[in-house]
Amino acid sequence: MNLRHLVAAVALVSLAVPAFAEPSAAGRVKVVSGSAFIIRGSEVMAAELGQPVFESDRVRTGSDGRLGITLKDDTRFSLGPGSEVELSRFAYVPAQGRVALALNVIRGMAAYVSGRIAKLSPDAVKLETPGAIVGVRGTTLALSVSPR
Amino acid sequence: MRRRPIVLTAMFAVSLLAGCGARKVKQPELPGQALVVLLPDPETGAVGRAVVSNAAGKADLVAARDSTVTIARRAPEPVKTLTAAEVKDLFGDVLAALPPPQRHFTLFFRFDSEELTEESRSLAPEIVRAVRERRVPDVLIVGHTDTAGPKVTNFDLGLRRANSVSALLRQAGLDAAAIDVVSHGETELLVPTADGIIEARNRRVEITVR
Repeated sequence: MNLRHLVAAVALVSLAVPAFAEPSAAGRVKVVSGSAFIIRGSEVMAAELGQPVFESDRVRTGSDGRLGITLKDDTRFSLGPGSEVELSRFAYVPAQGRVALALNVIRGMAAYVSGRIAKLSPDAVKLETPGAIVGVRGTTLALSVSPR
Repeated sequence: MRRRPIVLTAMFAVSLLAGCGARKVKQPELPGQALVVLLPDPETGAVGRAVVSNAAGKADLVAARDSTVTIARRAPEPVKTLTAAEVKDLFGDVLAALPPPQRHFTLFFRFDSEELTEESRSLAPEIVRAVRERRVPDVLIVGHTDTAGPKVTNFDLGLRRANSVSALLRQAGLDAAAIDVVSHGETELLVPTADGIIEARNRRVEITVR
């Protein structure tokens, strides 16, 4: 690698950094009605339209709540009333081959429509329920989980 | 006492109804029990595949509305295909809460330029419409180039192309905060070519509205 190549490589990396540098949201709340919450660590926030959702967040709805979320890879999922889902894993850096998605349906009703991650790497998508794991080869699933 | 026959009749009717109810698919009730249903894609109707498994066994969901019931330490129940009415009854509510599907657009450019082709320029109003239809729009604009010229220059050209589309959409009134601009340079060719090849279909910006 001569100096020109090195400079070129550094320039590429520094140009590429802004897209990945900030701890970026996995997705955003696109649909909300009734009581719905985002739980981040010990913090419980009322879910609002446009609110970002991060890896490890849990989302929860009350008995009158509904929630719809779109992730950065076009994955969509929703919760019916009285439901709770954890976005236990989300990685979407296709250029580096890092893609992963795990949704843990803790209780209630959930729907899932696969996005780019399932297309790029079907084995990278897992939906978890208390008693089994669902491996998804696209595209749409509905789950109903009785609380443990 | 005179009323008893009526009460008995009513109880009989209730037990009949309950009998019908038992054949209907029920929500899981045991702690940690789950019902998993494979559904056709809401937009395309395509049916994927899902494998439901735990240490005790697995169930393959392969056809529209195939379902299984799971609980820890027991193999998933044999696959049962639900009717469309049963799916609507159980999941209509949660399916209605799914956000609208993403839309993709591809715009093409003149050689070595961030100027759109005439045809692509005319697509702009449709993109703006797709954005405005959404209550919470996210727009991802990814610039691409062909393999003519050095990689670094192409990375920069891809970025300029993406920025020019971003400017066009902002002129149309789109909020800059909803827009993400990225360049992939010559690393993701639509039409695979060797290095140094001029290819109009690779000179493009891909837009995702979600």
